[in-house]
Order: sequence, then C-alpha cells, then structure tokens
Amino acid sequence: MATNDPEHREDEETAAAAAATAEDEDTGAQVAPIVKLEEVAVTTGEENEDAILDLKSKLYRFDKDGNQWKERGAGTVKLLKHKESGKVRLVMRQSKTLKICANHLVLPTMSVQEHAGNDKSCVWHAADFADGELKDELFCIRFASVENCKHFMETFQEVAESQLKKEENKDASDAAGLLEKLSVEEKKIEEKAKEEAPLVTKDDKDSKSDTVKEEDAEKKTEEPASST
Amino acid sequence: MALPSQQPVDYPSFKLVIVGDGGTGKTTFVKRHLTGEFEKKYEPTIGVEVHPLDFFTNRGKIRFYCWDTAGQEKFGGLRDGYYIHGQCAIIMFDVTARLTYKNVPTWHRDLCRVCENIPIVLCGNKVDVKNRQVKAKQVTFHRKKNLQYYEISAKSNYNFEKPFLYLARKLAGNADIHFVESPALAPPEVQIDLAAQQLHEAELAQAAAQPLPDDDDDTFE
Repeated sequence: MATNDPEHREDEETAAAAAATAEDEDTGAQVAPIVKLEEVAVTTGEENEDAILDLKSKLYRFDKDGNQWKERGAGTVKLLKHKESGKVRLVMRQSKTLKICANHLVLPTMSVQEHAGNDKSCVWHAADFADGELKDELFCIRFASVENCKHFMETFQEVAESQLKKEENKDASDAAGLLEKLSVEEKKIEEKAKEEAPLVTKDDKDSKSDTVKEEDAEKKTEEPASST
Repeated sequence: MALPSQQPVDYPSFKLVIVGDGGTGKTTFVKRHLTGEFEKKYEPTIGVEVHPLDFFTNRGKIRFYCWDTAGQEKFGGLRDGYYIHGQCAIIMFDVTARLTYKNVPTWHRDLCRVCENIPIVLCGNKVDVKNRQVKAKQVTFHRKKNLQYYEISAKSNYNFEKPFLYLARKLAGNADIHFVESPALAPPEVQIDLAAQQLHEAELAQAAAQPLPDDDDDTFE
C-alpha cells in the first residue's frame, strides 16, 4: 500500500514511455471502412485578415444561472484585422481539435477589465458568433503570464478605440478621402455605364445613389469645419 | 433523459456508443468536447444522452452522435438496446479505480454481442491524478481483444482528441486524416444601445469578482 517516492517516479516513467509508444502504435483490429471521404480544400475563414495578436490562453464564459465561470476552451487567441475593411475580430480556437470557441468583432462600445482575483486574466462582454448564431457572453481569458495579459488588454483597448475613430471618420473628418473615393467611383460608374449600356434602369439607380452619397459627403465636409 | 436531436445532416455521421462503469468520466468527456467546460460534479447519467459532436478534417466535416450511456447498473435503462446500429465505440475506465478496469471485459463482451466488427477505443481516463491504481503497463486487455488504447485526461485535455481521430481514420480507412481549422465565419454587425451596454458592464463587474476554476495550469492544451 505504501507509496514511496522511487515507486512514484517509476510510475511516471512507465506512464510516459507508454504514452510515447501509444502515440504511434495501432493495436486495433482491421475493420472495413464504412465511408469514403475525399480530400477537401481547407478554408480557415481568416484568409483576408492579418493577425495583430496571437497568444496561448484559456477562455472561460460566465454561467449566469450558476453564477460561475466555466471553461470554454484552451488554445490560441487571435486578434484579426481585415485587410480591406480594417475591422478587427477576436477568434479563439481550441488546440488539437481547432474548433472555434470565440468569434466576435472588437467594437468601440467594448471595454476589457481586469479580473479581480487573477492578475493573468481579464474580462469583457461580446455578442459572440462562435456557434454560428449571436449570443451574449461574458468572457474571461487567462494567460501564462501577467505580461501577456497586459499586452492583450492594451491591444484590445487600442483596437476598440481605433474602431471608434474609424466610425467618426465615417461620419465626418475623412470627407476628403471620401470625396476622392467618390470621384473614383464615379469614374467606375461611367465606365460601367459604357460597358453595360443596355441596362439603363440599373445605371439610373447607380447614378442616383451616387448623387445621394455626394450630397452626404458635402454635408460631412461642412460639419468638421463648423465644429473646429 | 434527453433524446437524440438527430436531424439528418448533409455530411457523414456515425453512431458512437460510449460505455464503461459509472463515474469513469464518460459524460464529462463528452461535455468537455461539446462546450469546453470541465464538470467536476458527479451526476449519474440515466439511460442514455445523445449529443452530436462535429469535427473538421482534411477530408471534410464529420459528425459523431455520441450515445453517452449510463454506467451505473440501476440507471441502465435499455442497456445494450442502446448499442443497436452502433458504428464505433469507446470503452472508458478510470485509472484511479481498479474495479472499473476489471469490468472492461464485461462491457466489451456486451458491446460485441450487438455490434460486430466495429472500431473500438479503450480509454483510461483521469491520468492527471497522481495516485493511479491501474498503471499503464498493467493495461493489457486491448492487446488481447485488438482494441486501440489511449490514456486520456478530460481534466487536462491530454490526448482528448485522439479517440475521435482514431475512429475517424478507421471508419474512413484513411490513416492520413487529421483535424483542420473550422471556417471562422464573419460575425454579423451588432448595434449595442446604451442601456444594454450599461447592463453588460454591471454584469461584468459582478462576474469579474467570481474566482476562476482550476487556474493553476498554464499549458493551455
């Protein structure tokens, strides 16, 4: 019955050895396959994004009914910035199975806060899309070090704030850029009009919406001028 | 007893039967894969609970309908009635309880009476626990009966994907099958009004004061 240290060590060694061999060894019976699965192209859904953060971590979701944190997954959390729209989302995948345990945009309305009892972890709220439907979640994430947690919090907060600026820009100060874009779009539409001459009604619509945009842009150029 | 939410899917699916003594961790193992949580509280399964579990592989998406059966005799329900049309199986025992390993042959016999020639994985669970009663070298049953064996831990996630990977490879006859990233779809835009935002912040402040379960590891597997 008595378990002393050497015995313990031996246990661990044999366990480790067995685990190592079990890795490759197939002791299973030969069975006839019942399906034929063809190789498929793999799409991560992240092809048009750049990772601005990529860290090992463990994610928890808050169970409101039980008033407790529950594990959601352990693996890699990423902040992904879209190459065209500039939008940033948080995507986390479970290691080994590579399934998604979090997938949501980082929005200006979000803020990340420290977890009271653990300085390697922090919390935030999001409408999460991991399961393919939007779900309100309170998340907590824990890192291997205080530094990683700090880095995550800072990056998250910076992104949230930059998204706010982007929204403001949309409304006002980026009018110059907008105008520039507009003239490009106009050109495009003109070209389109030439190409698609028979589609008169469609072109009509296009040019109509274009004028609306132009008016908007004019209004926007006025706003920042009056406020500054 | 939750009954099968077995709407047909347009990708290959398999009936997976999970058997083994009560308390060996069958339900915890399935839940771990379903939601990520690790349930410590023991609530015996009554009869059977069926959960669909999807995996993404280099040969497409597949689904296991996991028939998580009662381990405790008194809650057995239909018992081997649940095994009918099983296409693959997991037999679970607890490496910290010798009796659960001794009972493996009985589970295996009953299973094979109903399901002939299906791929079966024997899983020794709870290998994260320091004081094991069944050491790795004492596990020999799989060699006698030609089963695959994995030491696993639903708590630490050690080898937790291996049983599914093995079964997928056997069912398809491809040793090269591996898990790949599932596509991360673009999340839709959401408008959050001020009132909702304030509510979330209040909830968040409260949640932030609740301790985290098992926050001592940092390997994140």
